[in-house]
Amino acid sequence: MHTMWKGSVSFGLVNIPVKMFAATEDKDIRFKTLHKKCRTPIRQERVCPACNEKIGPDDLVRGFEYEPGRFVLIDDEDLEAIQPATAKTAEILDFVDLREIDPIYFDKSYYLAPQDNTGGKAYSLLCQAMKNTGRIAVAKITIRNKQSLAVIRVLDNILVLETIFYPDEVRPVSQVPGIPGDIRIEERELSMARQLIENLTSEFRPEKYRDEYREDLLELIRKKAEGKEIVTAPEAPQRNVVDLMAALQASLQQAQEMRKQGKEPPARQRAKKGKKEPVETG
Amino acid sequence: MPDAEIIMIEGKKIRFSNPEKLLWPKAGIRKIDYLARMLELAPYILPHSKDRLLTSIRYPHGAGDESFFQKNAPEYAPEWVKTHTWNDTDYILLDSLPTLAWLVNLAALEFHTSFNTWQRENHPTSLVFDLDPSEGQRFEEAAEVALLVKETLDSLSVKGYVKTSGATGLQIYIPTGGRYDYNEARRINEFFGRYFSQKYPGKITIERMVEKRGARLYFDYLQMWQGKTIAMVYTPRATDHASISMPIGWDELEKGIRPEDFTLNNALERIKKKGDLFAPLLENPVQESLDSILKYAGLS
Repeated sequence: MHTMWKGSVSFGLVNIPVKMFAATEDKDIRFKTLHKKCRTPIRQERVCPACNEKIGPDDLVRGFEYEPGRFVLIDDEDLEAIQPATAKTAEILDFVDLREIDPIYFDKSYYLAPQDNTGGKAYSLLCQAMKNTGRIAVAKITIRNKQSLAVIRVLDNILVLETIFYPDEVRPVSQVPGIPGDIRIEERELSMARQLIENLTSEFRPEKYRDEYREDLLELIRKKAEGKEIVTAPEAPQRNVVDLMAALQASLQQAQEMRKQGKEPPARQRAKKGKKEPVETG
Repeated sequence: MPDAEIIMIEGKKIRFSNPEKLLWPKAGIRKIDYLARMLELAPYILPHSKDRLLTSIRYPHGAGDESFFQKNAPEYAPEWVKTHTWNDTDYILLDSLPTLAWLVNLAALEFHTSFNTWQRENHPTSLVFDLDPSEGQRFEEAAEVALLVKETLDSLSVKGYVKTSGATGLQIYIPTGGRYDYNEARRINEFFGRYFSQKYPGKITIERMVEKRGARLYFDYLQMWQGKTIAMVYTPRATDHASISMPIGWDELEKGIRPEDFTLNNALERIKKKGDLFAPLLENPVQESLDSILKYAGLS
């Protein structure tokens, strides 16, 4: 697994050096976008519409649009200056009950592992203590310049960090349209619905659910590939530059020899000082 | 020696601090030595830098330690430091001894300048080919490719000038007299890049993905943009040897030189003997063969 953050969990006066790994991965099948006509994967180009120039990575700056069309520029130094002190630590603020946090707050999950042997003992201690008390920790952590609220909990003797949304990032339920108000429910209907739930109740075994859409898609791709129903991209056509260069060299040489013999070179090969010949393209 | 003193250069007062600080620790060059060397080299540096937008790289704790790019003139710059505003940035113009000494005091160890002068912001004065050895390649391979480039330029009656970058590679300058704008200059450069990579596919690549380059020399023809800079001629580099970006003769390249042959300590002696091999660039010569190349580049 690829370490995506290194730092420490700070807990009172104790610092536990940890490495962090993404706990989940997205297995979506990705497609490439091709040019319909010739099946070549298209290339995204960044272009400045004002200068009509292609833009490289070094030509970019970060701007915040504070009103339409007006920007303040923010550079790396600006961001570093306000980098929170928690940059390299996950600072534990409180311990709470897991049930107090609604799942809607959970964002992303990460595994934490001790960085080396020295952190191992403190790591196990925190694990054990949280297990015994049944509490989980609320902490502040900064990942890639974004300060997040997180909880740290124990899963199979491993510390798991879940980033959670700040309360103002969770939209209030009052904004959801079309929710019915008080509607009278017959006792008979309710007991039927409850009966149905009882019948379908089982244990949660995640392995029994599969991404059927992904499986079908992979199967479709396999069949198409076997059935030679495949399109290939042609090599991007290119004029042979080596031949062009040879022609160019010959024409320049010819012009030079004519000049030596005191003759004027053909008009199309003569360039006037300070004035350019029109350029043919295409 | 005190920690800071006021030095007078051409009537300008400059506060010069920590003269004993080692700026190139491995070469044993102190700040005061750096100042002395740069004042000697100034007559060769300033004509090349005076009209260009300057980016300097500052190493407050000396070469090998942390560094940062300085594009914008800092607010504490003396009022006699000339600047030119482009793209919301106040670029310093390195046009005088006092400005040079002031930058030395700020531990600016490298000077990078724009391809264009501030007076003609859309017209680079040279085409530049940057020949940088890929990882695992030696300088000799860059030299070999430079000589292949030179052969082709000769066949086109185009004059090119070569310098060490001072770091690992070589840079070839083809003066244009500012005849082409950036778009045209890039078109000519791309034509050369594609030609060299097709003619010498085992030696030269224009592949931008590092992992696909292999042991081939990367011919960087894509550098020429407004606002981009390149290590200027005679700039020191923050390398162990305090090497200098030095113009060299094509014959020297054939005989074999190393980038670290040219350092802050021996540069003056050499330049006095050889003269400024990049002086022809200052005359902005127009090379008419390039017009034909631009035309052919349009066909490719």
